Amino acid sequence: MIYCLFAIVALISIYTGRHYGFTLNRLFGFQRHPYIDIDTAEWPQVTVLVAAHNEEKVITNILAALMAVNYPPERMLVVPVNDRSTDRTREIIDKFSAEHPGRIHAFHRQGGKGGKAAALKDAMELVETEVILIFDADYIPGRGLIKQLVAPFFDPEVGGVMGRVVPLNVGTNLLTRLLDLERSGGYQVDQQARMNLRLVPQHGGTVAGVRLSALREIGGWNDNSLTEDTDLTFRLLLAGWKTVYQNRSECYEEVPETWSVRIKQIMRWAKGHNQALVAYAFHLLFGKHRATLRERIDGVLLLGVYAMAPLTLIGWFLTLALFYEGVAPLHGVIALLAFTAYAATGNFAAFFEIAAAARLDYTRQRICLLPFLVLGFGVSIFSVSRAVVSQLMAPLTGAQFHWDKTERFRAAP
Amino acid sequence: MNPSLAALALFALAGALFMVPLLPAIVELRLKRDAQPLNVIQQHAGEIRHFANGFRKIAVELQGPLHDCVATGTTALGKLPNGDEYLVLGHPGDDSWMRGGKMLSICRAVVVAGTDVALPDGMTFVKEIYAAGELTGGKGNSYRAVLGEKDVLLRRASKVTRWAHATGAFRAEHDCDLYGRASSDREIDLNAGCIFQRLNAPRISFGDLAGAAEEAVSASSDAAAAPLPVGRTLYDEDLDIPAGAVIPGNVVTRGKLRIGAGARVLGSAKSDKAMTVDAGARVDGSLISASRMHIGRNCRVGGPVVAEHGIIIDSGTRCGGPRTSTTVSAPTIVIEEGAQVFGTLWARDEGRVVPRA
Repeated sequence: MIYCLFAIVALISIYTGRHYGFTLNRLFGFQRHPYIDIDTAEWPQVTVLVAAHNEEKVITNILAALMAVNYPPERMLVVPVNDRSTDRTREIIDKFSAEHPGRIHAFHRQGGKGGKAAALKDAMELVETEVILIFDADYIPGRGLIKQLVAPFFDPEVGGVMGRVVPLNVGTNLLTRLLDLERSGGYQVDQQARMNLRLVPQHGGTVAGVRLSALREIGGWNDNSLTEDTDLTFRLLLAGWKTVYQNRSECYEEVPETWSVRIKQIMRWAKGHNQALVAYAFHLLFGKHRATLRERIDGVLLLGVYAMAPLTLIGWFLTLALFYEGVAPLHGVIALLAFTAYAATGNFAAFFEIAAAARLDYTRQRICLLPFLVLGFGVSIFSVSRAVVSQLMAPLTGAQFHWDKTERFRAAP
Repeated sequence: MNPSLAALALFALAGALFMVPLLPAIVELRLKRDAQPLNVIQQHAGEIRHFANGFRKIAVELQGPLHDCVATGTTALGKLPNGDEYLVLGHPGDDSWMRGGKMLSICRAVVVAGTDVALPDGMTFVKEIYAAGELTGGKGNSYRAVLGEKDVLLRRASKVTRWAHATGAFRAEHDCDLYGRASSDREIDLNAGCIFQRLNAPRISFGDLAGAAEEAVSASSDAAAAPLPVGRTLYDEDLDIPAGAVIPGNVVTRGKLRIGAGARVLGSAKSDKAMTVDAGARVDGSLISASRMHIGRNCRVGGPVVAEHGIIIDSGTRCGGPRTSTTVSAPTIVIEEGAQVFGTLWARDEGRVVPRA
């Protein structure tokens, strides 16, 4: 048992060190924003896919925002991917299509496999452009965002692009405020540091883009994945394509306003991420492909973030068990576990990352909420662990592929 | 002391101590002093003319006094709603800059000229200047911001600290410092010794174009701004494209890249390390380097040119074309007289025009 504990503490310490490294890089390192200054160019044709499943509350906002962007209208086609909606989503999309002839081509999906990846896969029949941008329906792109997300594709090495997600409904309640802080840490520090250090910025599947030829080369969308974005990140990486992060390409999103929705969301992320861990980690680390050594190491650590939650719980359990077994002295290990656990568990960004992000965002008072992150941490660690257990049990219980859509809270227009 | 009371007191004290670090959090949660979404730029989208357009609105509000002054050939003073003083010039002769029989060295008012205006030498303009006609600066002048509805000429060793925009041509003589943004709806011409950061115009030229001129102005010789080419050839080491070779698609190398003299890349080229483009080479797509880049003489690049650490562009080279605008971007850019860029030239730290070697 004690060697298991040592191994867990060692792993958690690696993640802690990684988070410290990222934070210091953001505060003091060289910052890479190579494509953000491309504001004049012969902009290529682009298709903007808007994934929408029962999105009557939010679809109007994103379509209106896309019609107002400064991208040449004759070079941009918006394809709302209406995935088997049973509410007014179809009606709203059709109304917009009629009002903007030639600029919106609706894709109404009546049946087929559930999940965003399956819907996007089907919608590819309408895509003829080399650059594809993807948005979830609750996002509100700014006027210059499309150009910013297209610009990196002038680099022939870039296969995927990811922008920064900024919560819009911040002030609703404690949960939204905590998610705002988490997003800050995750994007402003974590993603940008990985961009700076030429590691593996993660494709987020929204406020994002992908190169059609790269997507075809890696076999298209994987509709068996619960997180098609993570899956895409690693398949691009293995094929030698870069995913780049654009910290200044910011886009508003709606974050969950209830804990139950948040728990469902994070459980889906955990399951999808762990699918990718099983599918790609070994090959990424030891296989023959085009990723660099630093990308291999960071990629595996990135794949492992959601495995750290159950490992942390097991570590806590082991310390208790060993204590009552009379194994001593363990105080050093226990102290290390206590110190590092909160700072190491992947998606629930470490508190010092969030503090650094708040500073980089020039925000002031919201940093006062840091102590409440313990609450989010507690919910996340148990939710993720529950997701992992259900995944491990799936072969025994016969659980099928199931995709939970994140509920929206905006008032319908 | 009653043991129960003592236990209660201890419990209360421990609870209070636990709550202390939570107090600021609770206060913030209740008062929501910082509960707004991050201020994401949604509207002006970094448009280079944003400040010029904003200032033009102020100038338009002064059209009444401006017309009066132009009609009567007089000057007028007043105050804007924000409290700034303004000076309207209807007939801008040297007397406009005299106070108490002495020539001003500092003008603290917003200047709005209704006609062509020629400014005296050695002056500092603390506020913006608007000219409805042509604006000719004085030698060694310092400006906060300049907006000209026709041509703008900055004389030698002038300095602009915020932005400048000309609806007509914008020219800067030798040794001018253009911090911030400079733009023109027609063309920009900077001479050797000028420093710049962000430039935008349909055509940006540097000094004397003699020698590079004939071909440079020909639209038919544009490197094609083609649709994004598909796929790429990936090399894990340094790559040397031989002189005169033709590469049919995109090229990516994880090492250094040299494009030989007279070679042509029909797609784009990217290197993770230094990139060198020899004289007379031509790249139809973009040039991207994660390090430094040196583009030799008389090269042609169709798409964006980006280097993460710095770019040197030699004379006779042209990026973009009259019908295919593009962006050249790096923290530092050194560009020789005789080069041309069609679109945007953006040096985050500093751009510098140097004489032809």
